[in-house]
Amino acid sequence: MREARLFMLLLVLPALSVVLALFVYPLGLSLASAFTAKDGTATLENFAKTYQLYGDDILFTFLIVAVSTVVIGALAAAIGGYLILGENPRAVAFLKWLYRWPLFIPFIVAAQCMRTFLAKNGLMNNTFDSLGLINLQSAVGLLDWRGIIVTFVWKQTPFVALLVAGAMASLDRSTMEAARNLGAGRVRILVEIVLPQVAQVMVVGLILSFVTMLSVLSVPIMVSGGSPAMLTVDMAFRINSYGDYGTANALGFISYAMTGIAAWVYLRRGVSGGGRP
Amino acid sequence: MKRLVLLSAATVVTLAMMSSPGLAQRKVTLNVISAGDQNMVDYVRDYLGPQFEKSHPDVAVKAVGTGPGDAGSQKIYEKLMAEKSSASWDIDVAVIHQKAAGDMIREKLLASYTKDVPTSKYVTSASATNALGTDATGYVIPMFNSQTAIAYNSDMVKNPPASYDELVKWVDANPNKFGYNGIKGGMSGVSFVVGWVYANAPDAEKLMKGPYDPATKASWDPAFAKLKEFNKKVVLTPGNAGTLDMLGRGEIEMGPVWVDMFYTWQADGKLPPSVKLKLIGPGMPGQPMYYVIPAKAANTKLAEEFIALATSPKVQADGIVKRFNWYPGIDATAVKSQLDDATWNKLFVDVTPQDLASKGKTFPITPYFNDILEGYEKKVQ
Repeated sequence: MREARLFMLLLVLPALSVVLALFVYPLGLSLASAFTAKDGTATLENFAKTYQLYGDDILFTFLIVAVSTVVIGALAAAIGGYLILGENPRAVAFLKWLYRWPLFIPFIVAAQCMRTFLAKNGLMNNTFDSLGLINLQSAVGLLDWRGIIVTFVWKQTPFVALLVAGAMASLDRSTMEAARNLGAGRVRILVEIVLPQVAQVMVVGLILSFVTMLSVLSVPIMVSGGSPAMLTVDMAFRINSYGDYGTANALGFISYAMTGIAAWVYLRRGVSGGGRP
Repeated sequence: MKRLVLLSAATVVTLAMMSSPGLAQRKVTLNVISAGDQNMVDYVRDYLGPQFEKSHPDVAVKAVGTGPGDAGSQKIYEKLMAEKSSASWDIDVAVIHQKAAGDMIREKLLASYTKDVPTSKYVTSASATNALGTDATGYVIPMFNSQTAIAYNSDMVKNPPASYDELVKWVDANPNKFGYNGIKGGMSGVSFVVGWVYANAPDAEKLMKGPYDPATKASWDPAFAKLKEFNKKVVLTPGNAGTLDMLGRGEIEMGPVWVDMFYTWQADGKLPPSVKLKLIGPGMPGQPMYYVIPAKAANTKLAEEFIALATSPKVQADGIVKRFNWYPGIDATAVKSQLDDATWNKLFVDVTPQDLASKGKTFPITPYFNDILEGYEKKVQ
């Protein structure tokens, strides 16, 4: 019995040591640094500075990521819904082929594309202008908070849609067909019958997206020049301009707190779903 | 089948092992690590490295980049700090920014080497002895000097402002036609803000020369209040390249840029020829990058020879001025004789040597620099 246990421990050891060395240890170090002053004493000064300088940015970051998450959820539901409820087989096949593409494009490349696409005289406005929809003289660029949301949504929707569409495809179609027989429209079937059944998967996908977006530096730094800035930009600035790891880690701590809440929801979902995260 | 694959894999590995140690034994590797954009790494790998290897057949130059801006220099600083207690460090030559140079000299991470390099006799700029307030004499030779200036589209702007005060008036009359990248998206914006503080603070000279007095920053409040007002009428661009992009697309008519980036973009056709430069008064900062040798570099002698080549008038003319549109790191008169007039004049057509002498400022000493950035974060954003 004891030997078996030792053997099991040995089996787990490589994975465990990787987690400890590359995740738990740096996390601990970063947390400790957030509460340490430059001279090594314990302090809350870093948090005071964070609040004073970056209070708006914390709220801004949360709002940007939250709004993006909501929009991603709506779009993913729409895409997944059309894939199972759409009536034009060609359009369904086309959408199925098309919607996954952004999944394979890194954030930094997406950000670079959006820089030229969303600019005031960029590709999007130029196209609208030549179609006669807007006048380029009075056009506005979207290279600010709106640009960040557009990029995040564009990049993360396919990920959530992929999960959600998979879950929808495995649903028992009889409930949908029954609803349709009784005269329900497609939107109503999606909202009242399909979505409640895939809510679990949707929430998991959205939480993973939320956490990913919170950690992206390239998009906010490349797409938006103005302030307020996102927390990742502030962290990079704190380190690169002042060599100030204390405040950067305090900002990191706030980031962990946000992801921590998301992770808590994720785990609770997992437990209520019979231990299946 | 599986066996065959294994066998051939083993053969390949053995062959590789047999051939490589021979090479490694013959060659000494000179590790050159450089902060800055990819072009800095390319410069060492494609231009300087081969030249040095030609005169030193037993040496292989290895170039590594650590990324743009002060962040890149910070990484070199952190790497050397981590290696501090070991006997020999794996960086032979480093190319760093001013801010990190000061820190590294104070931490005793750098060797005092310039007396052993013959080209140090050409070094005349003030930045070679003063790295943002730290005495750098003997530790650094500038690789190049770079300068920020205001780029403007001469088709739209007929009489560009000649000073910060005139710029404010111009922006009042032309809202949302001036753009800069704040302080978090690159140094051209930082430089604009520093120039703003120089123009509006009571004691600009003291910020550049010291001594540091923590109370000084209170005197900048009116300057920051004015900048906050100014920011409402300008566009905030995403990064150094973002400003140039917007100028190129005609979204803004004016903005601060690095002179070398400006010329490179114009040469690549990414900016129309109608965009020109103006160094506005009382002045905008520029900065050099330095060649330094770590205190415990494995190949100090070779490193010195490498830097001697890199700072020779010939290389400064062909590499620094002609290829990259940077101002030379060594005395310009020594470089001028190596260049044709056309190349020389191109570099000084919009920003004259007199402009550079009177309006090319340095960045403030480090504590003031940090105060300015933090003041901006607190009072302008």
